[in-house]
Amino acid sequence: MKLLKATLVLALGVAVSGCANERWLMEGPRNTNDKTVDAGRDTKDLSQLKAGVWIDPNGCDHWIIDDGVEGYLSARLDKYGKPVCSGSAPPGVATGPFKSGSSIPDTI
Amino acid sequence: MRAVRKQIAKAAAGALSAIALSIVGLVSTPAPVAADGHGYGGYVSNTPRAGNPSTSTRTRTVIGERYVPTIWVDPDGCEHWVMDDGAEGYMTPHVNRQGIPVCRRGNVCGVMNSDQFFATDSYHITRHGKQRLEEFFRSASATAFVISGHTDSRASDAYNLRLSLNRANSVARVGQSVGARIADVRGYGERMPRASNRSAGGMAKNRRVEIICIR
Repeated sequence: MKLLKATLVLALGVAVSGCANERWLMEGPRNTNDKTVDAGRDTKDLSQLKAGVWIDPNGCDHWIIDDGVEGYLSARLDKYGKPVCSGSAPPGVATGPFKSGSSIPDTI
Repeated sequence: MRAVRKQIAKAAAGALSAIALSIVGLVSTPAPVAADGHGYGGYVSNTPRAGNPSTSTRTRTVIGERYVPTIWVDPDGCEHWVMDDGAEGYMTPHVNRQGIPVCRRGNVCGVMNSDQFFATDSYHITRHGKQRLEEFFRSASATAFVISGHTDSRASDAYNLRLSLNRANSVARVGQSVGARIADVRGYGERMPRASNRSAGGMAKNRRVEIICIR
């Protein structure tokens, strides 16, 4: 019994030790249906996201955001609705501060 | 590692959505608009305008989950729909029904009045105009430029498309000569007017070469 308790405590400790890789454990069931805020630890409004640029194989730009567990990707368009292909980096490369929007470390 | 985590999270989300309440809503079918043929930039269409009140009385029942987005504004000033669904995130550009992005500010950094750079029907840039453009491209501090030519509505559509592209190319060549990266060169002819072509002042405003700075 004691051993079981110790195991449980240990497991709980691992789960809540702020281990970013296990963040989904902490998110648990959402008590709200609000999709407009980050559901995780920082619960910031999604308008605060910091983007970088990812260049697709055709050389065109997309906004890329790594917000901890969530990732976002959306086309960069000019005022005429045409893709922006800036050539600021080679195809298949992401540049800029796209991982800086979250304090949750992301090693992958 | 991430893939495994994602899978576990997905399984958890799946279990959650099984208990989530489905919403049942009444959605009215959009009614076809009267064929008034309102023109949009570059083409003619009968697409209903966003938010057009429907006159149809037919209703249908839709079973779905409520996914209400918020808006994220990109560094260019344009809006994107964004949703955070726990482990997943979703994003897509906010465009109107004609595919034109909804933006709070533009990144047009230069509008060159054609009358100051070209003679009527010509795409040869004056010497003074060349100097002004070189100065512009050197000081703009942009990663790349998109150059679009526009005309007023006199002469034929096909002629104006060609003239505006020729003029945009002339401007692009000046940019290239001072080392600017040109991402795209376009001729929109008379299809994207900035003002009414019914007055001389309006037509003068429409004769232009627009430069977008990509930073």
